[in-house]
Amino acid sequence: MPAERDWNRRLASKSILTAVAVFLLAPFVVVLGASFDTAAEYHVTFPPRGFSLASYQAIPLKYAAATGISLTVAVTVAVTSTLIGFCAALGLVRGRLIGRQVLQSFFRLPVQIPFVVTGAVFLQFYYQLAAMTGVNLLSGLLGLIIAHVFVAVPYSIGAIASVLTRFDPTLEEAAESLGATGWATFREVTFPIVRPGVMAGMFYAFIVSFGDIPVALFLVSGAQTTLPVQIFQDIQFDFRPSMLAVSSLVAVFSLAAILGVQKLAGFDMIVPTRQR
Amino acid sequence: MPSCSTHVGKHSMASNANPACCYRLTAPAAGGPPRSRRGRTGIRWEWFLWPSLLVSLVLLVVPQANFVWLSFHGDLGLGQVSAGLTAENYARILTDPFYLSAFWLTVYLSAMTVGFGLMVGFPAAYALARIGGWTASLLLSLILTTSLITVVVKLMGLNIILGSAGLINRAILALALTSSPIPMLNNEFGVFIGLVQYTLPMMIVLLFGVVQTIPVSLEEAAAILGATRAATYWQVILPNAKAGLLASGLIAFNMSMGAFTSAVLLGGGRVRTVPVLIQQAIIQDTDYGKGAALSTMLVGFVFLINVAVVAVSVESSRKRRWQRAG
Repeated sequence: MPAERDWNRRLASKSILTAVAVFLLAPFVVVLGASFDTAAEYHVTFPPRGFSLASYQAIPLKYAAATGISLTVAVTVAVTSTLIGFCAALGLVRGRLIGRQVLQSFFRLPVQIPFVVTGAVFLQFYYQLAAMTGVNLLSGLLGLIIAHVFVAVPYSIGAIASVLTRFDPTLEEAAESLGATGWATFREVTFPIVRPGVMAGMFYAFIVSFGDIPVALFLVSGAQTTLPVQIFQDIQFDFRPSMLAVSSLVAVFSLAAILGVQKLAGFDMIVPTRQR
Repeated sequence: MPSCSTHVGKHSMASNANPACCYRLTAPAAGGPPRSRRGRTGIRWEWFLWPSLLVSLVLLVVPQANFVWLSFHGDLGLGQVSAGLTAENYARILTDPFYLSAFWLTVYLSAMTVGFGLMVGFPAAYALARIGGWTASLLLSLILTTSLITVVVKLMGLNIILGSAGLINRAILALALTSSPIPMLNNEFGVFIGLVQYTLPMMIVLLFGVVQTIPVSLEEAAAILGATRAATYWQVILPNAKAGLLASGLIAFNMSMGAFTSAVLLGGGRVRTVPVLIQQAIIQDTDYGKGAALSTMLVGFVFLINVAVVAVSVESSRKRRWQRAG
């Protein structure tokens, strides 16, 4: 009975898939659920005993400040690394190069280094820079932004290069033979086609920066902490139900942002699938 | 065989973390645009590389070299080091069972994570790819989303689920399976779960791409020739996915070896993996020499493992081809 066996096999892998999906989604469901509990201090209850927004009303102001810092850093990083990544991708894909493979591996190196090591490396680098030139990058956000750009550029290159490779150069030639200037060709032909890759690259750079803890832990000063670092430290030393509320908000806004980018850049750009 | 979609093959072999990072720079096999891209404008595209190359050189080579250099000096605190070259930092680590066992623990947890991840992730990715349609799209983007939201949220949820008064323990106690709660936090088990949560979404996304490149017709052919589903799975699907399994396993291994946040929040300071020790050495002990030496060893070790695995797999596939030819 091959049909029945086939059905059974599908059943086996489908049940594993279901279990995996439940396993991966459970932490978020639990955080979201517990955040609506009738909050008792220092205590988490799931399933919630009742519905209350108490933990949302109790969110301290420091999380708003940390969110502002995180957004500032992440947006700056996204824009900067997309610009750098766009140039690099153009050169890598279109340039006449010897040793293209070597260059690709070189640009991918930052992702190979554990984030903790990157944080330590930049902290040490900034110390020495301050000792030698008097420029202290650790006092503001610039040091963190530079380190995040370093980590995020490979993601931008990857996303943009993958679109550029599929780009048909005859389109540009057609535009030019119809009399378009170089800039007009870029604005009207090249960029619209490459845009999904640029959006995806920007999105990944933003995510890398916004979600990072290990690098930021080394490079933020006490007064200016990013949101994940603030939550990270509070989980360990000062847990309150309001953190569940903050985390739920982060999760919901992230989900909304991801759906939005998928709508704008296309599902294919975010999830590397081949639609059939 | 559409070569442009083997995305996860050799290009991402040593890369880390994210699908966007798997460069796909080889032109599609058929009908794709030609390689030489110097159109009529005569733009020298390779010049566009210079800004990013300069940034990368300044940000990668200078600080890293500086850091490795530092690891060969005695430490005087706050980034100040002694003048003479010395290997004492490495000697301190290599002769101390505490650090050696930390390396072993990190490798052990990462290997367990990869093994479990492949065992669970491949069937899940297989089911996703074969279901197809909007169900698969929705599930896949949900799974990917869980890895894009900052990891603290996930870890907070795991704390609630795994804690001694958490969901699982209350269920176990209610069923009277044990008399006391099973400790699942602040130990290696907790960190293991955290690492699986951290790496599994990425593995599934990568393996999904791999399964998509295996035509269903291969399975149908095997079935027509009388193979059972199990035989098809082991002898047709898995061998075809071998390169992808290896690549995504390596990526997950690299991620686990460097994982810091999960080790801290689910290990509760009691599970000291190398990344945790690096952070402690630098932030708490301000012992830069030791931190730098530990970091250099970790990066070097992970790099060597990657090279070894790739070399072995290339060698074995060459041997097999040789046997088939002979």
